[in-house]
Amino acid sequence: MPIQTIFLALLILPWLSAGLVAWLPTKIQVNASIVLAGFFTYLAFKVGHMPENITSYPWFTLGGNAVVASFWVTKSAQLLLLLVSIVALFVQIFSKSYLAEDPKIGRYYSYLHLFIGSMTLLVLTDQIYIFYGAWELVGACSYLLISFWYQKEAPIKAAKKAFLLNRIGDIALLFGLVGLANYFGSSVFSGMHGSAPALIGIAVIAGGIGKSAQFPLMSWLPDAMEGPTPASALIHAATMVAAGVFVGIRVFPFIGEEAHLFMGIIGAISLLAGAIFALFQNDIKKALAYSTISQLGLMWLGMGSSASLFHLYAHGIFKAGLFLTAGSVIHYLHHQKATHQADAQSLTNMGGLRKQLPLSFVAYVIFGAGMLGIPFTSGFFSKENIAGFLWDSAQHSAYANYYYVLLGALALGMMLTATYMCRQIYLIFLGQNREGHKLEKSKTDWLQIIPISLLIFLSLFFWISLNPMDAHESVFLSFFHIENYHIPEFWLGITAGSWILGFGITYLTRRWVPKRNYQFLGFIWPSSYRIAWGLGQKFHQFDARIVDRIVVKFTELQVIIAHLSAWADKHLVDGSVSLVASISRGLGKRLATWQSAQLHRYWFWVFFTLVFILIYLLY
Amino acid sequence: MGNLSYIILLPLLASLIVGFGKLGATYSRLVAIGVIGIQLLVLAKIALVFDPSQVGYQLVESQDWIHLNLGSLGHFVSKYSLGVDGLSIGLILLTGLISFVALWNSKDIHDKIEGYYSLVLLLNASLMGCFVARDMFLFYVFFEFMLLPMYFLIGIWGGPRRNYASLKFFIYTLVGSLFILIVMLGISLAYMDPNETALAFPNLGFHDLSSMQTALAAHEIAPNQIVHSFDLHVLSDPKNCQPNNVFSPQSGFLLGGLSGRAWGFWLLFIGFAIKLPLVPLHTWLPDAHVEAPTPISVLLAGVLLKIGAYGWLRMAIPFFPTEAVDAAGIMAGLGVFSIIYGAYNALAMTDLKKLVAYSSVSHMGFVLLGIASFTPEGWQGAIFQLLSHGILSSLLFLMVGVLYSRTGNRQIDNFSGLATKMPWFTVVSGIAIFASLGLPGFSGFIGEFFSLMGAFTSTHLTPIYAILGGLGILLGAGYLLWTFQKIYLGGYFVRESTWELPDLTILEKFSLFGLGILSIIFGIFPGIIFELSEIFVTNSLNLLFH
Repeated sequence: MPIQTIFLALLILPWLSAGLVAWLPTKIQVNASIVLAGFFTYLAFKVGHMPENITSYPWFTLGGNAVVASFWVTKSAQLLLLLVSIVALFVQIFSKSYLAEDPKIGRYYSYLHLFIGSMTLLVLTDQIYIFYGAWELVGACSYLLISFWYQKEAPIKAAKKAFLLNRIGDIALLFGLVGLANYFGSSVFSGMHGSAPALIGIAVIAGGIGKSAQFPLMSWLPDAMEGPTPASALIHAATMVAAGVFVGIRVFPFIGEEAHLFMGIIGAISLLAGAIFALFQNDIKKALAYSTISQLGLMWLGMGSSASLFHLYAHGIFKAGLFLTAGSVIHYLHHQKATHQADAQSLTNMGGLRKQLPLSFVAYVIFGAGMLGIPFTSGFFSKENIAGFLWDSAQHSAYANYYYVLLGALALGMMLTATYMCRQIYLIFLGQNREGHKLEKSKTDWLQIIPISLLIFLSLFFWISLNPMDAHESVFLSFFHIENYHIPEFWLGITAGSWILGFGITYLTRRWVPKRNYQFLGFIWPSSYRIAWGLGQKFHQFDARIVDRIVVKFTELQVIIAHLSAWADKHLVDGSVSLVASISRGLGKRLATWQSAQLHRYWFWVFFTLVFILIYLLY
Repeated sequence: MGNLSYIILLPLLASLIVGFGKLGATYSRLVAIGVIGIQLLVLAKIALVFDPSQVGYQLVESQDWIHLNLGSLGHFVSKYSLGVDGLSIGLILLTGLISFVALWNSKDIHDKIEGYYSLVLLLNASLMGCFVARDMFLFYVFFEFMLLPMYFLIGIWGGPRRNYASLKFFIYTLVGSLFILIVMLGISLAYMDPNETALAFPNLGFHDLSSMQTALAAHEIAPNQIVHSFDLHVLSDPKNCQPNNVFSPQSGFLLGGLSGRAWGFWLLFIGFAIKLPLVPLHTWLPDAHVEAPTPISVLLAGVLLKIGAYGWLRMAIPFFPTEAVDAAGIMAGLGVFSIIYGAYNALAMTDLKKLVAYSSVSHMGFVLLGIASFTPEGWQGAIFQLLSHGILSSLLFLMVGVLYSRTGNRQIDNFSGLATKMPWFTVVSGIAIFASLGLPGFSGFIGEFFSLMGAFTSTHLTPIYAILGGLGILLGAGYLLWTFQKIYLGGYFVRESTWELPDLTILEKFSLFGLGILSIIFGIFPGIIFELSEIFVTNSLNLLFH
């Protein structure tokens, strides 16, 4: 098959799959969906080996300019495509076991394919219209998946919140993209060269805030954990939320340094806030959600450079792994007699699970090590690379001090990350079960073990570089055009210090379990909703009491005037005018028999106005 | 007689036959649907014959109609002249389609059935007439004629407050048409029709347009030798204006700080704004919608509102181009205000039909914003939004109709979790709602996106209008998602346990999914519509700024 055909197939396949899966009989839906996802992964690997190129299809003409549906295969797009397809495939396999008891599961798989299709469009497109379209579509898929259990109240509220908070960012993105297109005179990314004004760049970056759940629009992501856990792994951990980073990567070359710094600062705030609030969660998934916010903040700290891209990929793998592992812990607790009625996601019901779930324990530790950036994991390289990027940029920039502050935030963030990650491992797997539940050993479920094991495999160092401490001669990095930034040796000391501090704090506070889920800026949503609703009421009152009243009163005034003039007509005027009046009165009587008593007066008045205006215009 | 006459005369004749032929309920319905079906075939033929690359009107028809000698004021000519161009082709197709959908979903009308179908056919004929008339007088006749069937359709087959609503609709629209009438008579008296004048007075010896216009400006043509007409093309060229007239660009006439031409523009603008409807001239709309039976709401929102924007693009702006461009800021401001005002009001509604009605106000605001940008993107977006809203508002009103026909109730709070009981209905409502909130892949997105983009990049507007318009997108998502969540998601609940909620019938599935699929097709391939109006837009904008 020629590569162009494969490319087109890659773009179209997920949409057809979504329809097909929904339409197939229940028995074979799931297996068919997994096979289709596998085929998609195969195509993604094929496209992953394509040289960088631009493919255009004619689309429409607007104002004399031909608008093409243009796709730009870049190294960053290829890397993301691989990440999406791999994680999506693993998630589908895992879901077969995790959601085995849901009766109408075809809908879920169909949504997953819709998501894959939208995400593929998003990473591959070169066109700002398609980019924005795909951007909104992934948000809609997220809405559908969060509200998958639509009969429960919490998921549908969370879904609505996610969609609306995302839309706030989307509006900034819309104007940012249109601004870019207008400034560069090109509606394709590949046609933009130079440096855009800071404001436009900031608008584009601000557009990513909603999708990446960055400060201050972050509160939707913890709520979104109401959706099925495997879907969270794909959408709300590994891929969709990274779209906000991806937009930064796409526009990195042509937005100015101010916009880069804006991205970095937002990232730093989110990195710290997310990490702190991850410490104060009782729910295992919500803790992971805050951890995602924090890690996305780290990518934002990379400002859309290739360091961001690298961490996006590395994080995508180990965070998906963490979510799937957490999913299998939840699944296990939910199916135990002792904890079936209890909240299977609450840390209160956990502790000591290493005995029952040794494999999950190992997986959690390895993925956690990736989060900490401990050597022998890919996370080590990607984290060092971001630090290196900041150090490198500081060396030749007018804003050097900003970069050093951001580096400091990174160091603090690493310490907090080490703390919450170790605490989580401790609270789930070490010690004793806090509620004293009697738990049995888990059954071996290959559908869960295989995807998690493969993700462990992928999150280790040798994919990136055979030397676990140095990615200098990495084939992976040079293939995906990722620059290997360097930072002096002292940084390794800071990194190690952050781990030690993190372990220490964990050890000291190991007995404390948060009683509830604390929210960062959680008030923004309900209060802004109340404000909008209140404004709606005000507008409505204004509409009903003032705008409408004015019109009605004005009409009534016409009736009064009509009465007066009818009186004047009867008593004062004769001749032609009285003839006209009697005609219109006769007409009025006929009209009155239709519906209304007032209509004929109205006709009368209209007629007179008309005559007067005509006389005025003519003479 | 050409195809354009057929699409007017067919429903007109059928209306008489249905109205007076004593056909009985079943046959009235069959005849009405059949005739609109034939009309759709004729429209399909028109669409195939239509050449989008051609400038100006096509399939032109012209017949002498009225000729008046006004003595010293000259002569008045009005012609029965029809034609279709890039602006009207989409709208007549929409009219045919929506009329068909409305009739298709008229099963719930049970009394005076012959009268009902007769009036809907009459309405269809006058709508078609409005969109294909090339003569302003002819347009006005159709425009006014539309009022009559609409008034009765709401007043007789409407809900409990139908008298109030139909009267309100009647008065509002009549005031609007009064404004239009004033300008129409004034401008026609002020302008000379060069062709007709040369034909009627060959002794003047004129052969080309520019020499006649020069002669007119130099007072060389006596007023009683001027032939006035209502030809839209003639009225769109200010050079045809008699000197010293209030509508002449050089007249120096001022009233309340506005020139005669500015008055002309604003009167026409307001006249059509009532139809759109533009805030604050919109209060007839929620009442009319709430009281109208479902198919009539569909026609009202789907087609009638479009005449407002059509009037701007066809008359108000080409007649008074300079004044229109000067007014860009005010127009955009009004458009944005409508977007936000409509959206906030929709947010406060508890009656589903009112919510949809206010969402119409909000969505039509984008049309004005796009027009006010005076850019190709904005105009294309506005025209696209007209057609897209025609499809989507019909879909939303049909959705309300499905609930209302089953329960006689439309309060949002009275329903919850319908997804469990009515999966098909939920799917199609989901399409309607996501399409209306501007999700890419559906037609609603294209219209809003390009209207906003036009406004953002326009040299006549500051970007703040577009940014405020963007707020409308956010609010739109708010009230529509809230509605979807309340009615379709959650646990199943209805206020009265006696309410039966069977899923969509085959008839309903046809029309609802048909419109939904159409919205998806236009959302993915907007070129289908852009191609039709492309030449109209570029040509009109060139004329504005030549």
